[in-house]
This record gives sequence, C-alpha cells and structure tokens, in this order.
Amino acid sequence: MSWITRLKNAFYSRSLDRDLADEHRDHLERRANHLCGQGMTAEEAQRRAAAMFGNTAALRERSRDVRLCVTLEATLQDTRYAMRGLLRKPVFAFTAVISLSLAIGANTAIYSIVDAVLLRPLPVPQPDRLIALSTTHHPQSAVNSASDEGATFSYPLYEQLSAAAGASARLALLGSPNRVEAQTSDSGAPREEVVGQYLSPNAFDVLSVTPALGRLFSPAEDRFPSPREVVVLSHDYWQRRFGADPSIIGRNLVISGRTYSIVGVARAGFSGDEPGKFVDVWFPITLFDPSIFINPDIRIFHLLGRLEPAVTRQQLAARLQPAFHNHLLARMGEGTPTPTASQTQFRDTKLLVNSGFSGNSSLRRVFSRPLWILAGVAACILLIACANLASLLLARSTAGSSEMALRISLGTGRMRLMRQLLTESLLISLLAGVGGWFLSRAVAPALVTLVSRQLDPIRLDLANDARVLIFCILICAFSALFFGALPAWEASNPRPMLALRHAPGHSGRLRTGRFFVGIQVAFAFCLVIGGAGFLLSLHKLDAIDTGFDPKGVTVLTLTDDAIQRDRQFALMQQIQIRAAALPNIQGASAAWLPLFSGSRRAQRVIVPGKQMSAREETFYRVAPGYFATLRTPLLSGRDLSFQDNDNEPVASVVNRAFARRYFGTESVLGLQFQRDDGVRHQIVGIAADSRYTDLRSGAEAIVYMPMKPPRAFTLYVRSSLNAASVLKMVQREANALGSGLRVRDTITLDALIGNTILMERFLGAVSGAFALLGLVLAGVGLFGLLNYSVERRTKEIGVRTALGARRSSIYSLVLKDLTGMVVAGAIVGLAGSVVLLRVAQALLFDVQPADPIVIGAATVVLMLVTLIAGGLPARRAAAIDPIVSLRQE
Amino acid sequence: MPSSNSVQTALDMLVLTVLSRRGPSHGYGIANAIQEWSQEALRVDEGSLYPALHRMEEAGWITAEWAVTENKRRARIYRINASGTKHLKLETDRWSDFCGGVARVLRHA
Repeated sequence: MSWITRLKNAFYSRSLDRDLADEHRDHLERRANHLCGQGMTAEEAQRRAAAMFGNTAALRERSRDVRLCVTLEATLQDTRYAMRGLLRKPVFAFTAVISLSLAIGANTAIYSIVDAVLLRPLPVPQPDRLIALSTTHHPQSAVNSASDEGATFSYPLYEQLSAAAGASARLALLGSPNRVEAQTSDSGAPREEVVGQYLSPNAFDVLSVTPALGRLFSPAEDRFPSPREVVVLSHDYWQRRFGADPSIIGRNLVISGRTYSIVGVARAGFSGDEPGKFVDVWFPITLFDPSIFINPDIRIFHLLGRLEPAVTRQQLAARLQPAFHNHLLARMGEGTPTPTASQTQFRDTKLLVNSGFSGNSSLRRVFSRPLWILAGVAACILLIACANLASLLLARSTAGSSEMALRISLGTGRMRLMRQLLTESLLISLLAGVGGWFLSRAVAPALVTLVSRQLDPIRLDLANDARVLIFCILICAFSALFFGALPAWEASNPRPMLALRHAPGHSGRLRTGRFFVGIQVAFAFCLVIGGAGFLLSLHKLDAIDTGFDPKGVTVLTLTDDAIQRDRQFALMQQIQIRAAALPNIQGASAAWLPLFSGSRRAQRVIVPGKQMSAREETFYRVAPGYFATLRTPLLSGRDLSFQDNDNEPVASVVNRAFARRYFGTESVLGLQFQRDDGVRHQIVGIAADSRYTDLRSGAEAIVYMPMKPPRAFTLYVRSSLNAASVLKMVQREANALGSGLRVRDTITLDALIGNTILMERFLGAVSGAFALLGLVLAGVGLFGLLNYSVERRTKEIGVRTALGARRSSIYSLVLKDLTGMVVAGAIVGLAGSVVLLRVAQALLFDVQPADPIVIGAATVVLMLVTLIAGGLPARRAAAIDPIVSLRQE
Repeated sequence: MPSSNSVQTALDMLVLTVLSRRGPSHGYGIANAIQEWSQEALRVDEGSLYPALHRMEEAGWITAEWAVTENKRRARIYRINASGTKHLKLETDRWSDFCGGVARVLRHA
C-alpha cells in the first residue's frame, strides 16, 4: 500500500467503506459466535459483542483516514456538491456560465490573434539570432509602395551593407510577397493566384531553412546576366496543388508569362518571413527587373540577417552605420539639387538593427495598436463579467446562509467552508472556460476575416497553441478567484446566530454588492464611450466626399499575355470603346493601377521660376473618359484624348488642389511645369478635387497624364449591373478581340474604398459589440442587486406604505440607492474612457478623446439602461401590499 | 527510550509476533491470540486493533487479502511479509534492551 493506493481509495471511497464495514461485521459475528458457544442466547451474544466492539462509526472513520488521501476526497466531495448545487439552480448556473464563457471566449480569441501576429517567433532555428534592418526616416522615392513602410532598401545598398557586415553577420534581401498568376505547363491548365516572393539566393541559408525535397537556392543562382530560371515551392503549396508529388522536381511552372523550373520544396512549417502572408513560390532576386541592381532609388526590399555567435546587435549597428551614411552621401551628391528639407532628413537618417525574432511584419505595424486596444477592451469585459458573477453569488449566498450558519456552529473551520465555496466558483469558471475555448476557436478566424482584404488576404496560423491553452486556463483560474474569493469570505463569516435568527444583519453584504455593481457600471460606461467614439469616427469616414461617385463602378484588372508593345495601346483603346458601348454600361475608362490600391507614382514638381517642391505629388496615368466615368467634374479646359502621348510637353489635367498649391490660382490653363526627372508638362484641363490613396489624408494634388502602352491596366466601368455581370460582358468583348487580352481581377470601387477603412470598420464593429455586451452584463448586475435590496427591505417598505407613503416616494427610495452607484461608476468610467480614446487617438478620425457628442450619446444610453434596470424592481417595491409584507417573517 | 507512542509500538510488535508464529489470520483471530497468549493480561480492543492493522498495512509490514469464509461471507486475512519480519526483529531487540534497562534500574538499591 502506498500513496497511489491512497489516491485510488479517495476516488473509490464507497468501496472502501464497504470493505471496512465487512471486516468489522465479520469480527462481530465471530465474537458473537464465540459468546454463543459460551452459552448466551443469540441476541444477547450479538448485543454483548456489539457493546464490546465500541463505537463503529468512529472506528471506521479512523481506519478510513489512514487508508485514503483526505484532501483529495474532500475536494471530490466539494465538486460533487457544487455540481448538485448548480443543477438545483439551473437559471443561475446558465446565466453565470454563459456570461463568463462569452468573456473568456473573447479574451482567448484576441489573445490567440495577438500571439499569432505579435508574439510568435519565426519557425526557424534560433530565431533570437535573427535581425531586421530599418531606417529612422523613410524618404520617398520614385517607386515606392505605401503598404511597405519598412521596405526601404535597394539592391546596391544591400551589397554595400553585406560587405560592411563581413564576418559578423550574414544579410539577406527579401521582396514583399505579391500575388501572381501561376499555371502548370500542361496545355489548357487553369490559372490560379499564388503568392510569390523574391529572395536573395542566400536567404534560405540565413534563415536556416532546409529543403523537404530537391534543393533550395544556392550561389549558383547568383550569376547575372543569364541567371537560371528556377523557383522553390513552399511545402503547403506543394501539398495543396501537387498532392505532395515527389516527381515535382524539374517540372515547369508558368508564372506571369515566364516559364520556370521547379528546383526544390522548402520544409514543412516554413511559409516566409512575414506572419500573416503564406508564400507559395520563391524566386531568386536575380530574375527580377534588372534595373534594381544598379538603381539605388528603387527601394522596395527589406533586409533580414543572422548574427554570428558572440556578436551583438549594437556591434553590428556600429559596423554598418558608416557604410549606410556613405551610401546616402553618394546619393545626395548625384542628380538634381535636392531641397534643404531633404538634406537634413538625409543627415538624420540612421540605420537600426532590430530583433528579427518574429520576422518582418508589416502586419504588426498596422495591427499592433488596435490589437492591444482590443485586448484591453476584452479584459474590461472579463472584469465586468466577474463582478457580475460576484454580485450574483453574494445575493445567492443569503439563501443558503442558514445552512452555512449551521455548519459553522457544528464546528467546520472557515477555511473548509471557503474551500467548498471556491470549488463552486472554480467549477463555474471551468465550465465557462470550456465554452469560451470553443467560442474562441470560432471567433478568432472570423475576426481575421473581417480585416482581410479580398485581393490581399491575411492567413494566420491560429492552430491550437499550447500558449493559448495555458492563457485560457489562467484566465479561468484568475476569474474564479476574482469573483469567488470575496463572496466566499463573506459567506463563511463566523457569526451564525444572526443568520439562524433570520435577522437582516447583512448590510455588509449589500455594501460589497454595491461596490461590485459600481465597478460594472464604470467599465460598461467606459466601453460604451469607446464604442461610440469608434462608431462616430467610422461614420465620419464613411461620409467623406471622395470627389467621385463610387456607386456602380466596377474595377477590372486586365492583362495581356501577348507581349507586343505596339499592339498593347490599341488593344486598350479598343476594349475601352467596346465596353463603353455595351448595353447598361454608362461609361468605361482605362487607367494605370486602381485607386486606393496602396500604390502610387510620386514625383516632385518644379514650377518655372521656383525651386523643386519638397513634397512628392501623385502622377496618375488615365485614358480619356476617366473623369466622365468616375463623375469627377472637369471644371475647365478639356479632357485628355487618345492623341495625347508622352511627347513633351505632356498634356496633363491637374486638379484644383494642385493648381492652388503650385500656382496659387485656379486659372492655370496652358501653363507648364516640370517633373523632377526633367519631363515638361502642359496643363490642358482642371478637374475637381478627389481622393487617391485613402480617405483620411486631405484632398491630394493629382496630375492626370496620358496612358502608356501597359502590360496590365485597370478598366473602370460604370454600370447599373452587378460586378459579376460586368465581368462576363467585358470578358466576352476581350475574347472577341483575340490576342489574349483577359480579365484578371474584379472588384467594386466601393469595396476598394472599404478596404482602406477596414481597420476602422473592424474596430467599430468589435468595440460596438463589446460595448453592448458590457452594457447588458452591467444592466443585469444592477437589476440583480436592486432586486435583492428590495427583497431585503420588503418589511420596511410595507411599513412605509402602511403609514401612508405614496408610490412616488417608494420609487425615489429605491432609485436613490441606485443613483449613488451609477454616478460614481459613470465618473470613473468617463475618466477611463478619456484615457482609452487618447491611446487610440491615431485610430480615430476627427474625434477628440472628450468629444461631447460621444459622451452625450453614451450618457443617454447609460441612463436608459439604468432606468430599465432600476425601474423594474422599483415598480415591484411600489406594488408591495403592506399587509402581505408585514405578515411574512 | 522507545518512542512516545510506546503503546502503539508494543501493539505493532504483538500483532507481528502473532502473525509470524501463528501464520495468516483475521483480526478477530489476532485479538484472541493476544488475549490467550498473555493469559488474559492484555486485552486488545477493536478500537485500537483495526486502525493498527490498517496502519501496518500502509507501512508495508503486513499484506492483506480477502477470503471467503464457510458462511459465504468475506473476511480479510492478514499475513506478515519480509519487511515485517525484519521490523519485528528490530522492535523485539529494542524492547528487550528497554525492559532490561528498566529492570536493572528497579533492582538497583
């Protein structure tokens, strides 16, 4: 026998009891027989034997305590008792478990997203030795994508930094993952969109990624001109698309018109250096547009590296800083004279060596603040739910207080009672934890979908991580302690006489109850103000005048595989004319990349007689008919025509903002200006202001210039039909034209604009939902407490009514109770919300932390809820029949 | 000096002795044997016997198993095992030393 058997016996205490009873009975019988043998009657013998045996019950207990683990048995007993108690009060159990599991589910969901985006390390060996380079300023240049704020390195700079790093670190260059079209080389194979990324050949080595099949890139890829056209597939893509076919090595893949040979598959689990973007295909950088190798202005790459052993980040930064500054000085020296503002910027720019633990993440930059805000909001909800449960438990414990009192007077220790009550709390929170866990499994992917754009989806690996599970369990334990401890302490109060006498001596309990309700009101009010702030900000964004009419405009991306540049322009013209002529189409116009897509061509402007502008303005290539299709009014002059081209002076239409900024007046027809690369433009028309990049920045200065023969272009189509019908019609026309012109993507302009305010929509929706939840919980808590208070004072109210008090004074009696809590809670909540909104200032649009509209709306909502929550018990109090209440004891 | 719960230790010793001399038996048999062999000088009451038996079983000096008696009832039979025998030897020696010492003191004038 050992402690294992003792544990076992704790579970099977009933069979243990049986064994002990059997043993004692056997003994008794033998003694009785013996006595019988000595001449007594059977009954007399039994009686004597029993008397000699002694106190069986005490005996059994002593034996029992030896043979089983007492604490475990007590815990099991408590659990069974708690379970029965919950089953006896199904409504309470249901409300408690549901409200807590909603809160726990919300917290776990948000934590799993936070973990996947912000905390998880890259799945490579020794991620703490990885570094990511960035600069302190991001000077804009000719080719720059607004969505890649951290990608500020060019290939020449990479080479110089690599040389400077020498033996202390290995650097790798990576492009941003992009969607490309891929198809296998079998004829007639379907095209699919995959995510591709360009890498320097040593990137896999630096990240310590091994191949699952074939080989990865090697220095053999590093020779140009005539680099090998090879690609590496990701393990996920290989399984998904090719069914893990081992003969994939050597087969060809056609991507965006070029044929590549598959040389290897990366190992399972690696999908790029950016959490949220699952890369399917990797290209060596040598296959990129050759101009990147010599042009230091094309800065679209980010640099990662791995430190050699015993090298610190500071040491590396010190080594790289001189090379970086030399590079900047060299760039400043050549080319057109730069304005002084840029010069100071250059001087202050520093190279930073950051930890690459979680890889490169543009996702993190965008989502870090909103995620932490949401985590805070979810924590508020949890606190509200806990406070709610605490006040419910307090109210409920009065019903069982006589039982508690009896047990105390029979000698139970306070600790034992508290343990039992805490077991009940723990049981509730465990049940809620299970429910919350499953809820979070469903909610977390849904939240990610809310912020994922159609053309640029975010995929997060939200698989069940041990860390998330541990977090869930910790939350459960914490909430159980939080809402269980105080009521348990109060309920096990060793003053049994009062309870046994049913005297109303529980004012202490009411005080604690008020405190909890005050907490709930404070947090709920804070959430409501926050939610109202986000919703107001969203409403203001939605109401912005974009400068064009986005309703009914379908945006199609067309691409042609025939790389005959002379035919491209004519094809574009033809498809535009034919599309515009279709029935139910009000207009069609081609343009370069779509609006609100995150990319723009930005160049500086030189007005004759003045210096080059410090800012860069947007230059947008459009076809004739653009302004009519998008319904941006042309204020004066003429639209572009198909005869306009890139011969200087380039015919351009500018908008009002441009005219005002650079010429100071709006009558600028016929005037000329220069781009920073020397090309002259002549203004032939003036258009109204409109947005280009996003809704938040003010009206941008835009120069519209004629289209160049494009490889891919955007077609805006205004129609009363939906996007799918427009797509079919345009595709038919494109097929009729022959020569491989086809539609690659479809989206509506409304959706494109919506994509830029996804974050605001997300925050508005989620914070609104949380605010509603918090309000409901607080309202329920308020109602519960007031109900209990009225119940307690039934006799008093009965006396008052009997003595002639009017209904209105009873109402005010009950509501007076309420006002104190609510006002105190509201003040605290107001303070908290100002803090919250200040932290979230960057995410709000045109809403101050203490905006009167927001606070006013929230106050009205709160007053409504308190009136309802308080009004019902007050009505009940006023309806108390004094005779009935005085008679009941 | 033996430990403070010398009565308990003495009881352990007696039980182990009975088991080792008499062979496996049930609780009633052990109690009877002790009473008989001490010629009615010692009477073990059940209140101390059974907790002692269970404690010794915990400690690993005796093993117990269920057997079916003639009346088709269950009875628990205890037997001594190797470590019990060792412990018995140890305790018996200690007890003899103790008794010898007490006797010598009492004899001293």
